[in-house]
Amino acid sequence: MNSVLEWIDQRTGIPSAACDWLRRPVAGGPAWRLVWPSTLVFTLLTQAVTGTVLWMYYSPSPQTAWESVYYLQRHVQGGWWLRAIHHYSAQVALVLVGIYLVQMIVRGTYRAPREFLYWAVLLMGLVTLGLNLTGDLLPWDQNSYWATHVRTGFLDLLPGIGGTLWKLAAGGTEFGQLTLTRFLTLHVGVLTPVLLILVLVHAWVARRHGLEDAAADRPGESYWPGQAVRDMAACALVLGAVLLLATCCGLDLGAPANPAEDPGTARPEWSFRGLFQFRELFPSSLEILPIFVLSGLTVLVFFLMPLWGRRPGGRWFNAAFTVVVLGGLALLSWQSYRRDAQDGQYQQKRIAGRELAQRVQELAEAGGGIPPAGALVLVADDPKTQGPRLFEQFCASCHGAGSGEQGAEAASSLAGGQETTAPNLAGFASREWLAGILDPQQVAGPKYFGNTKFKKGPMVQFVQEDAPSVDKAELESLRYAISAEADLPAQRTDDGVAPAARKIAAGRARLAARKAPCTDCHTFHGKGTAQGPDLTGYGSRQWLVEFIGNPAHKRFYGKLNDRMAVYAGSPTDPGSRILSNREIGLLADWLRGDWHDQPGHPAPGND
Amino acid sequence: MTCSCHQAPDGRRGFLAQAAAWILGLFAYGVPLLAGLAAFLNPWRQRGEAAFSVRVTTLAALPVGGPPQRFPIIAERTDAWTRFPAEAVGAVFLRRVGEKDLAVLSSICPHAGCGVSYDARTNGFFCPCHSAHFDIQGKRTDAKSISPRDMDMLGYNLRNGSEVWVRFEKFQTGTPWKVAKS
Repeated sequence: MNSVLEWIDQRTGIPSAACDWLRRPVAGGPAWRLVWPSTLVFTLLTQAVTGTVLWMYYSPSPQTAWESVYYLQRHVQGGWWLRAIHHYSAQVALVLVGIYLVQMIVRGTYRAPREFLYWAVLLMGLVTLGLNLTGDLLPWDQNSYWATHVRTGFLDLLPGIGGTLWKLAAGGTEFGQLTLTRFLTLHVGVLTPVLLILVLVHAWVARRHGLEDAAADRPGESYWPGQAVRDMAACALVLGAVLLLATCCGLDLGAPANPAEDPGTARPEWSFRGLFQFRELFPSSLEILPIFVLSGLTVLVFFLMPLWGRRPGGRWFNAAFTVVVLGGLALLSWQSYRRDAQDGQYQQKRIAGRELAQRVQELAEAGGGIPPAGALVLVADDPKTQGPRLFEQFCASCHGAGSGEQGAEAASSLAGGQETTAPNLAGFASREWLAGILDPQQVAGPKYFGNTKFKKGPMVQFVQEDAPSVDKAELESLRYAISAEADLPAQRTDDGVAPAARKIAAGRARLAARKAPCTDCHTFHGKGTAQGPDLTGYGSRQWLVEFIGNPAHKRFYGKLNDRMAVYAGSPTDPGSRILSNREIGLLADWLRGDWHDQPGHPAPGND
Repeated sequence: MTCSCHQAPDGRRGFLAQAAAWILGLFAYGVPLLAGLAAFLNPWRQRGEAAFSVRVTTLAALPVGGPPQRFPIIAERTDAWTRFPAEAVGAVFLRRVGEKDLAVLSSICPHAGCGVSYDARTNGFFCPCHSAHFDIQGKRTDAKSISPRDMDMLGYNLRNGSEVWVRFEKFQTGTPWKVAKS
């Protein structure tokens, strides 16, 4: 073994150089306060190792970035842990740089001849911030997308060159494909090597001048093993902190970035929270001050500190300046976090964002994967997500959908507390909903026809005057039979078994034989009088799609249609279309409670 | 100082050798560097998609005097080499102030580009990123507003009697004046 090392050493000199380096004298002797450079190198290597493996799984494009991170998180063993370690180790590295810098400033070790030692560490801090910012975009989730959007938007504040710089950062005129590749390249191909070079510069200067002045009475003791054991102990502690954070806090993946929908919850990482809050102290016309001028000047003062560090009072000024800046940032960060914590609307939006993220992942799991166009397609085709949005925009100004099983999500928020002017559609066509319309107390109330022109119409008249004299069992069987037409997922199983199945059969037989009062005004599978809406397939997907598309069709309300818009537009005038067929379908599915993970919904792949 | 690079070249041959080393070195390293720089700066000369008119909805979806409604802007777009079929590329707020009279506001906050939302309780707009408030007409309600300008109005026209077409356009954020983003 020794002879092999000897052989290599004679030809390269590397083993003896390494030995020299380990046996280098530590000025002032081994000490705990000298462990920071080693912990920084440790976090850098951790980042390099975890980052390289993350890179193997990452696919930088708007259709695959979030999707690849989702895959890593859910389907790669230990993937979530790897990602969390990378993330928290980056945060810890930032803290370590901060501690090291403050120690240099307080102990005055940044002064000649160690200016470059200090400058290297200061630059490491800035590069680490840059790595944080560029890495933040890569998962391409809602927060990373919108927060980066805001950050790069600040470039517009720079007079003259702002627009050009923005385009250079985004890689084009819009955020997208080339922004991702640019940020990834900056992250792994530019900033990481720069950080490595800074570590080497630091090591070089440290070898030349030592980290601190040697005390006159204590000549340098060897790095190995006295300082080495302290360094390794510190690295183990750092690792412990990182693993604790990664394992206990974990790291979420938000909903995939949607350029058309700002979640309103974008916030910077903790390291930029202070600056985020500081900016709010300035009016918009002076915004360039906090973002570029004052923060730039602060960094400049930190850079120049060694130059006046040997002057009387210079060291005190530097220490005081550092305390003011860090204290101010801490105070501002606390204010910002507190404000968010007290902001109910903000918290609601955060919860909505987390639910959406959860939902997209469920859909991806249920479908066995993500379509080639990306995870946004899953959201766009999901009735549970899109239904409430479409309903709120196009239906809720007249219809309520509150407090029912199917529309429970929408609850009272959609109706906005106002009394609706058309029937409440929560649970539409379910047995309970039909029980309400057949209830003399309710049919002319606000949940049904109370605020429509049918308030005194034939249906209300029938329910209030004739229905009480109809046999209860007969009425129930009719209700069950009509509700069965909807084939609602929530009732599907029950529809097939006794006693419901028996009631349905009895009701159908009556309707088919025209022995039911319903067919005096409605048709049922071709039998009856077409005066009110057709009951064939009542509440089924197809029925709803056709009804929403054209309620004024003679199969439905015909000329009696009360205010409801023809959402599919007129066939002769395509310009009059309000909702696409896809949107109408989503609304119908949502009203029917027909979406993945709802009881009765067919297994994925069958629909 | 042990480095002697800066010592005067020794005679004419020494000078020529130094000059040649500089020129050849700069050439050898400079050309690949310039090639990279050229491609890196490519976005510089790119122009954004100009304003375009797009059909957003019909008058039937907008009750007169109703609250502002958010509509997505559906358009085809190209991201680098990928041509996307029509999908949501942005959103606008439409409010019908008269029979044939609309108010069209961009949903992009003029401050930093976040998405503005309508708040029924205040009957105004609100940007959650940095708490900018606007009234129903898109005017800033706060004298010390963080936003440098009011919400951006967009042009529109009515076609075939009832179709609402909006002239969709993006502007630079953070500036006191509307400057088209290009």
